[in-house]
Amino acid sequence: MKTPRTLFFLFLSLLTLASCSDDADAPEFALLAYSPETGAPGTEVTLTGSGFPSDPSEVSVTIGGVAAPVVSVSETRIVVSVPAGAASGEIRVTANGVTRTSSGGFTVLSQLVAETFSNLEAPQTGSQGEPEGGPFTKFSFATGQVTESETEWDIAFRGTTLAVNGGAPTGTADEPERNGNGGAAIQDGTFAEITSAEGLTFAQDAPGAYAIPTGSGNGWYNYNPATFTINPIPGKILVFRTHDGRYAKVEILSYYRDAPAQPDPFTDESRVYTFRYVYNPNQGEMTLAQ
Amino acid sequence: MSLNKNKIALFFAGLFLLPLSGQELPRQVSDSFPTQDLEEVVISATRTYRQLSSLPLPVTLIPKAQIERTGVTRLNEIMAEQTGIVMTPDATIGGGEGVQIQGVASDYVLILIDGVPAVGRSSGNLDLSRFALGNVAQIEVVKGPSSSLFGSEALGGVINIITEEPDLERIRGSISHRAATFNNQNTSVNLGRKYGKTGVSFFADRLSTDGYDLAPADQQQTVNPFYNYTLGGRVRSEIGKTLDLLVSTRYFAQEFDVDPGTSEETDFNSLLRATHHVGERSEWQYELYYTRYTTTEETVDPIDETQRLDNDFDQRLLRPEIRFTYDFKGPFQLIAGAGYAFERLDRSLFDGQVSFNSQYLFSQLDFRPVPRLNLIAGARFDHHSVYASQLSPKFSARYDITDHLALKASVGSGFKAPDFRQLFLDFTNASGGGYSVLGKEAEVRGIQRLEDRGELASLAVARSELGIPLQAERSVGYNAGFRYRKGILTGEVNLFRNDFRNLIDTRILASKTNGQNVFGYLNRDRVYTQGAEVDLQLRPWPGLRLNAGYQYLLAFDKDKRDAVEQGRVFARDPGTLEAVRLEEGDYFGLENRSRHTLNFRAFGEVPRWDAFANLRVTYRSRFGLADLNGNDLLDITDGSFVRGYALVNLALGKTFLKRYQWQVGANNLLDFRGTNPLAAQDTEVFLNPGIQLFTRLSIQL
Repeated sequence: MKTPRTLFFLFLSLLTLASCSDDADAPEFALLAYSPETGAPGTEVTLTGSGFPSDPSEVSVTIGGVAAPVVSVSETRIVVSVPAGAASGEIRVTANGVTRTSSGGFTVLSQLVAETFSNLEAPQTGSQGEPEGGPFTKFSFATGQVTESETEWDIAFRGTTLAVNGGAPTGTADEPERNGNGGAAIQDGTFAEITSAEGLTFAQDAPGAYAIPTGSGNGWYNYNPATFTINPIPGKILVFRTHDGRYAKVEILSYYRDAPAQPDPFTDESRVYTFRYVYNPNQGEMTLAQ
Repeated sequence: MSLNKNKIALFFAGLFLLPLSGQELPRQVSDSFPTQDLEEVVISATRTYRQLSSLPLPVTLIPKAQIERTGVTRLNEIMAEQTGIVMTPDATIGGGEGVQIQGVASDYVLILIDGVPAVGRSSGNLDLSRFALGNVAQIEVVKGPSSSLFGSEALGGVINIITEEPDLERIRGSISHRAATFNNQNTSVNLGRKYGKTGVSFFADRLSTDGYDLAPADQQQTVNPFYNYTLGGRVRSEIGKTLDLLVSTRYFAQEFDVDPGTSEETDFNSLLRATHHVGERSEWQYELYYTRYTTTEETVDPIDETQRLDNDFDQRLLRPEIRFTYDFKGPFQLIAGAGYAFERLDRSLFDGQVSFNSQYLFSQLDFRPVPRLNLIAGARFDHHSVYASQLSPKFSARYDITDHLALKASVGSGFKAPDFRQLFLDFTNASGGGYSVLGKEAEVRGIQRLEDRGELASLAVARSELGIPLQAERSVGYNAGFRYRKGILTGEVNLFRNDFRNLIDTRILASKTNGQNVFGYLNRDRVYTQGAEVDLQLRPWPGLRLNAGYQYLLAFDKDKRDAVEQGRVFARDPGTLEAVRLEEGDYFGLENRSRHTLNFRAFGEVPRWDAFANLRVTYRSRFGLADLNGNDLLDITDGSFVRGYALVNLALGKTFLKRYQWQVGANNLLDFRGTNPLAAQDTEVFLNPGIQLFTRLSIQL
């Protein structure tokens, strides 16, 4: 019983081998999977399969129709880089005149934005015993600019107070209307260490309480009564959900104009923010690693 | 005439009583100490007279001769020259100066005058320049906690100013005038004499100065011109065979020239003490002490003459105390006491007058089971009308290994009562941003009031947490070391550790609708100071004494240090301003603490010329003034460090015609000025006003 079956398989194998060697000009290869399925230009995508040629020059890959530079090739693995200008679409591998197409599409993401915004002015009125007021200075991560828009803003500054476009007014004068789904989470770490918004709990502004708590030592800053200086607390990274559900991380660098390393509260103008941020413009994407 | 008769009568009475008065150990009040080796006696360590060299505790004694020969006239100046004691500048430019002992801040150092406490602190600091030294017999400093004897505030140490007592039946004393840089003029009269069994002394001192400026760039002067007076009087009389009565009074008044406006300060102390010797072994002391400290500050607008600021402070303490001492004439000596303190404060920032009362009991057993071993055990119980009761025990031991070498160790606890401000303040800063501060007793009421007025946005703490009483700030101090004394060398080594807990800090209770916060107080911080102290004294030949002292100090906030170790604290890269994680060694420790402090003192005299000279050098290593990068601790990246520096003081003196003494000298001889790192950009602010030359002429009576 055993022997005829073994012989049968041996025969089948030989047949397969023979058919391959018959078609020597176009050897068979298979594209089985690829990872990741999304990525911004520059992201390396690993294609796995079998029978890939070992010479990179014999392989060409396109993503969404745009040629992707091949980084490395082995019999079972091809690594390519998502090209600049690539559009979302299928991945195609061509070798020896044969083209294999991925079973699903690859989504090309927008590049993360890493910027430093200097000298955002955040004036306020009152405060010297009077209720604080005055309009907030609103900022949009999507444009990277201060905005006057009533709806397309993500965070807003007034004095040391930060508001998010999500939740409800806290009850102070002149607050902007919250019409988005923004939120904030304060994280401890260096800027580089905060790599994702995943798993964070985002607070929203609410009556009586800002999402970023106000007061020295509570939120983003410390007030030093010996030097009368407001300093951003080092290692407090503010992670925001924008009004339209994207994510960004912010490190406030200074509260004084031109971000002096050692501000002098008597001569340096305060209520002028310098902050750096990383913004992920892709809907649903939570990574904040550059 | 009648005076003369009395004198004779008292003289005979004195002769008759002579054997009884021998009960009290002689107090060393000698101006010839650099050559003679008299036994030095202190009272502050045990509240009984003890030889300095026999004590199980670290004690520094500053005799009158040292004060006189250095030519300094104020307590802060002489303290700055002692081992392990640092006079620290306030972090804010031109702020007061505080005494630091074993790395413990001046808030936790108790100041006594003849054993009774001085009051009147500004931001926790008791200004030592208030105390003129012209009538001081000696200053005793007990390091480490002594709350077992003295109650509140005696955590880092106790400084006891012992005033002089006349010892001869003729007028003795001195009249002197000292002139120094900054038009510093100090006249001092100190007279005393004994009439039989009654000693009377009188002291008057006037100091005036033009002040000085550490920040030439700004309009104001750092220290405004001021003048002050100190008046003191004391009468001690032995009445009958067994009674000894002391009445002592001191009044200090100071006025700063801050035109327009006024800034005045007064300090009044009055002590009545009766000592009753019952038999040879026991003694009762009845003491009534009253002190009042006031400041009046008024700023007037120079243009329309309206009052801009009116800040008055009026603190009073009345304290009766009874003490009982029993000497078993053998290995035991017992002391026990009880007292009642009434304290009251009127302050502009408070809603009316506040007061509290406390009662206390203390006891101490001094025990010598074998001749070479001395054990002292004591405890004090303080009951207070506002915060929880305190029990403060203390144990100390000394073992004489040889006649020259002794081991010493002590463990004691100290506490500091929450002060009036922490308990009763109810303050909204209308001109400084509209924030509010509520003392513990005002918390519930204050929050309610803000709520009723609709000024409260949200509570930051649970409502049930409001008004939970404050605990006293507490410490446990450990001291261990040895003392070696042989021939010309005396050496002392002491290791110390002070563990503080329940230190009172501020926190945010609620946020207000104006965006500001309501602050309250809570017990939170835990800090420690530890280190080692070495003191050497060498008398290579008569007429020369050399002293060298060193202190190594570590002082940290425990929670902050833990946070740094766990990698939860960040600093800011000065170039990029980006956050970087602090590593373990990056936390420098508490503000205003130097790792190393050193002093060197040489006192010499040439009897042939009736002349003396002394040179004193103090050095303190690098220290930081404030956190500048917002992480709430002093780390090595903060730009607030002051480089280590040395101050050199020199004094020379010569006596003419036996009773006239002329002194010249310089404090800060090398004209060190330093740079205050907190100064604004492109302006220079000094740490020290520079060299201060002085000359003094005194007539010895």
